[in-house]
Amino acid sequence: MYRNRLRVLALIQKETSQLLRDVRNLMYMIGLPILELFLFAYAVSLTVYHLPMAVADQSQDQRSREFVRALVNSQYFDFTLTAQDEAQVREAIDAGKVKAGIVIPPDFSTKIENGNASALILLDGSDSFSVQSGYSAAAMIAQDYGLDLALEKAERTGGQQASAVEGSSRPITNSFRVLYNPDFRDLWFVLPAILGMIVQMAAVAQAALVVVREREIGTMEQILATPTRPLELLLGKMVPLLVLCYVILGIILGLGVLWFGVEFQGSINLYLCLALPFILASLGLGFLISTVAKNQRQAQQLSTVVMLFSMLLSGLVYPRNSMPLIPRLIGSFLPLTYFIRISRGIILKGVGMSALWPDVLMLVVYSVVVMAVASLNFKKRLD
Amino acid sequence: MLKRVWAITQKEFITTFRDRGTLAIILLMPLVQLTLFAYGVRTDVKHIPMVVADQSLDRASRAYIDDLVQSGYFDVVQSVPDQAGVVSLIDQGKAKLGVVIPNDFSGQVDRHTASILFLVDGSDPFTTQSAYNAANLIAQQHSVQLVLEELSRLGSTSSGFSLVPLTAQIRILYNPDLKDLWFFVPGMIAMLLQIQAIILTALAVVREREAGTIEQVLVTPIRPGELMLGKTLPYLLLAIINLVSIILLGTVGFGVPFRGDFVLFFWLVLLYIISGLGLGLLISSISQNQQQAQQLAMMTMLLGLIISGFVFPHYSMPIVLRGISYIFPLTAFIPIARGIFMKGIGLPFLTNQVLFLVVYDVVILIIAARLFRQTLD
Repeated sequence: MYRNRLRVLALIQKETSQLLRDVRNLMYMIGLPILELFLFAYAVSLTVYHLPMAVADQSQDQRSREFVRALVNSQYFDFTLTAQDEAQVREAIDAGKVKAGIVIPPDFSTKIENGNASALILLDGSDSFSVQSGYSAAAMIAQDYGLDLALEKAERTGGQQASAVEGSSRPITNSFRVLYNPDFRDLWFVLPAILGMIVQMAAVAQAALVVVREREIGTMEQILATPTRPLELLLGKMVPLLVLCYVILGIILGLGVLWFGVEFQGSINLYLCLALPFILASLGLGFLISTVAKNQRQAQQLSTVVMLFSMLLSGLVYPRNSMPLIPRLIGSFLPLTYFIRISRGIILKGVGMSALWPDVLMLVVYSVVVMAVASLNFKKRLD
Repeated sequence: MLKRVWAITQKEFITTFRDRGTLAIILLMPLVQLTLFAYGVRTDVKHIPMVVADQSLDRASRAYIDDLVQSGYFDVVQSVPDQAGVVSLIDQGKAKLGVVIPNDFSGQVDRHTASILFLVDGSDPFTTQSAYNAANLIAQQHSVQLVLEELSRLGSTSSGFSLVPLTAQIRILYNPDLKDLWFFVPGMIAMLLQIQAIILTALAVVREREAGTIEQVLVTPIRPGELMLGKTLPYLLLAIINLVSIILLGTVGFGVPFRGDFVLFFWLVLLYIISGLGLGLLISSISQNQQQAQQLAMMTMLLGLIISGFVFPHYSMPIVLRGISYIFPLTAFIPIARGIFMKGIGLPFLTNQVLFLVVYDVVILIIAARLFRQTLD
């Protein structure tokens, strides 16, 4: 037993000095995640304001200007281009100069008096984000403006009776409170998930290479000639990577809280504890890739696949509960899927184990199973 | 010269084709990914779990909740007595949206003093956004409806005036039914081709250096430029196979309409693939070992994914970031792919992007060749 521990320690020592000696590699390992965080943080905007809009106002009267102003004042649309007619608006959207357009027909004011005015709003349907926020914003603003007009008219025509309605125009006021992120800050939404993504990527990519690289260079034979057992070998390779992942996690978390001002609601100790099964699971997945792949190239391709799946199927960007069964199933083979819920739960909601235990349990089971499969696979490949 | 390039090409072909596992991954992975992502990604979220705290339980409050449910956006998963109950369910993740309707709702509606509180789970960005937008719109519609009913009751004497004098027609161009597949397939094609191209060449040079075989190649009369060319050609062919299979799957398999000129698209994709291969070669020449090359390639892919406009809209990013995003050819190609695929536009609308790609190709190949020569010496 004692000797076993000694062997593992020796391996850890060897791997650590190997890791630390290659300064450029180390810089990559730690520097790239930081770069990723910064770009992500500034790139992500989930609520889209200021859609560039072309305006074809064929009336140029008070009402039409009022309506355009209502759209611009909402902050959802920016008046960036003046067009003559629908064809020109269409062309500007075709060319990608604007994402939305409005066409107001001639005699807008008169038509409103007659009660039969209509305006056409065009949205660029090749960009899902623009459509989503543009559609509901445009519908609401138009509706609101229409109601204002109706009330104004009722007041004029209906005299005293209707002025009672006008008094406090809306019967219901809706107020929204966004829990955990009251100011709707984009970064708050994504940081907890990005954190997991970055750590998982580092863990999988590094672990995916360890075994296969040694095999490709030929040094695997030398290690095998020593009395080291496969499981010990994996353990020895894992510990330095585990530390590295924690370092990355710490840096990203520190930057998120101190630089980007994300408020950490829950218990930081709990968070660091629960990161352990997550990192182990990610490393395990990487080792599995390493034992399956024949060469570094295959290992790279497989870890790229894991990265893409994590980006799109783990719930990082797109919601999981509206996915069909098979993509959702694939997502559940990614450690990130479980950790995103844990990370959001602790960082944003401030919840504890009672709400998180199913995901924690899954991660623990996942890491045990994946490590077992990886070391079995490894043993088989060695023989 | 051609003969020497051809020799290298042949050699690369043989190494690539002998490695059946890798070849299978190269050819099949993009198809698998396209299928999964195309079906997996849903941007319009329906059936969001909702918890209701209806403290009135009268006609007005029920009508209000009916409106929310009938929109198809929300499913009532549970009813609770008060706001604390709502928050606790959202904390547990069982509901994403909560509605709190106060006491005496009917009376308040009549007096125009009713107010409703929506609580939205702010930890899940997409759902939050959809829930927020939908609830906002439906709630407003409901309240407009109430005002109009009231107006028509009061104004029944003055007959013949239509209630809302303005109707806004909203037309969504190119994708009127808002099909997610239509949104995603063009961008996905661009993304997968970029990833393929980078992966293919990122290891090409560094692998030989690590294996030590580059020395053997160097003692032959082959020049660096020829070596590079010879190494790129087979991958160009593989990338073209990928391209054709992906487009076929997207259009024939998934029924996404291809509105533009296919021949034009093909040539522009070729231009684009070359830029990706060049970027891969660049990575390969500056890396000391396969591990570094892999890390750089991964980062390039991930960053391309984030800041190119594939996932998040490009125009809402800060200007500096938009500048940086042009390091990745994907940024210029996404408008081309969406433009030709969905909008059916031609070259005149895309000159900027096409010019950019041409310049990018030339520059990246020159830089890669320089660096390549440097690392050889």
